[in-house]
Amino acid sequence: MGSFWTAALAIAAKDMKIEWRTKTAFASALVFAVLVLAVFYFARDPTAVGALDIAPGALWVTFTFAAMLGLNRAFMLESENRAMDGLLLAPIPPSAIFVGKFLGNLTFVGVVELVSLPLFILFYDLPIIRQLPALMGVIAMATVAFVAVGTLLSSMVVRTRFAELMLPVLLLPFLIPPIVGAVQLTSRVLSGRPLSDLAGWLKLLASFDIIFVILCFFLFEATLEE
Amino acid sequence: MQRAEPTLKARAVKRQFGHRVVLQDISVEVSGGDFLMLVGHNGAGKTTLIRVLAGLLRPTAGTVQRSGATGMVAHSSMLYDALTARENLAFHGRLHGKNDPALVQRILEQMGLAPHGDRRVATFSRGMVQRLSIGRALLPDPEVLLLDEPLTGLDDAAAGIVREVLQDLKRRGRAVVVATHQLVEVVDLATTVGFLVGGRLAGLEPVAGRDAHAVMARYRELAANG
Repeated sequence: MGSFWTAALAIAAKDMKIEWRTKTAFASALVFAVLVLAVFYFARDPTAVGALDIAPGALWVTFTFAAMLGLNRAFMLESENRAMDGLLLAPIPPSAIFVGKFLGNLTFVGVVELVSLPLFILFYDLPIIRQLPALMGVIAMATVAFVAVGTLLSSMVVRTRFAELMLPVLLLPFLIPPIVGAVQLTSRVLSGRPLSDLAGWLKLLASFDIIFVILCFFLFEATLEE
Repeated sequence: MQRAEPTLKARAVKRQFGHRVVLQDISVEVSGGDFLMLVGHNGAGKTTLIRVLAGLLRPTAGTVQRSGATGMVAHSSMLYDALTARENLAFHGRLHGKNDPALVQRILEQMGLAPHGDRRVATFSRGMVQRLSIGRALLPDPEVLLLDEPLTGLDDAAAGIVREVLQDLKRRGRAVVVATHQLVEVVDLATTVGFLVGGRLAGLEPVAGRDAHAVMARYRELAANG
């Protein structure tokens, strides 16, 4: 068990170190996030559409597509110089590779979200200081689900010719349930609804987290076979 | 004298990709101190055999058994360009349960890369990358080291370092399997030569003092007989 976590944390730390050094995915994800938020902001007619009506959708479109840039990059790192072979030759279970990649991706997406969130609040002029902890909780729950599926699918598509195009095509159908839940919850949180109004969607989102993480953990090894 | 238990044992290995059979009925075993040189034209199946023996490819039929740690050097370096040589070795060391900066330093020195330890791999020449890749494979102190064209792109000095490493492994009773076209460089180290013809092991013979020309003459003879 010790070597499992040592390996998983080493892989996550290595991915973060490379991203910190190159900033390739982070810069693209952040620029993308700002652009999408700006487009949604300028596309809205404030006299016809209220900020609260469009903000949840805008937030999750931004997060989902910005995150995909990072998820795509995660296994590209391992295909350069066939570094994945080096991981597979190590005496560690394949699931440790999945957990390491998952943690690395989670950190990456988390940072992108943390940087984009103030911009989102600024663009939509939302007085959400009181709702901020609840909103961050919803974001964290939805992020876990889509990063788990994204990590699994990213390892599947990395050997295909059009990996960067394939990931969104495969990933988006899986993301519909958690993203719908996240949009519904975000809308309710921003409207200041009581917790009892959120319970159903929260349970659904928590179920997706558990199912997606466990399924992806066990399915990962099958994606490694050539 | 009783022969030692094989470190690596392949029995009736077959590997196909789709309908294309790349390896057929390969049986080979190596023990500590053995040095097997695999000879074959391009497309004969050397790389696939090395990958099957390393456990990176599952045989379609047959079995491969390994005891102890396995190191592998392939065409691709399995290194991360954005990390330094030291960081690459430290990362792989952690995966193998050897979080030991002194070991990393020793390997950098052994491979003649100590002055370049803190340079990013992206700035290395092909020869330096190849030496670092061999250093990476040595990290777990492997019982068997598998090398696929380890001398490609190396100048005389670098080839000399690699030869010293191989000699040292042999002296320390480790098993070595090398697939190479550069027979002149390793034939004097080899104890056994395997002739791969069209995915089959056409012959597995002791080197018995033969030089590279004699080995190639024997290969041509076996290839002509199909």
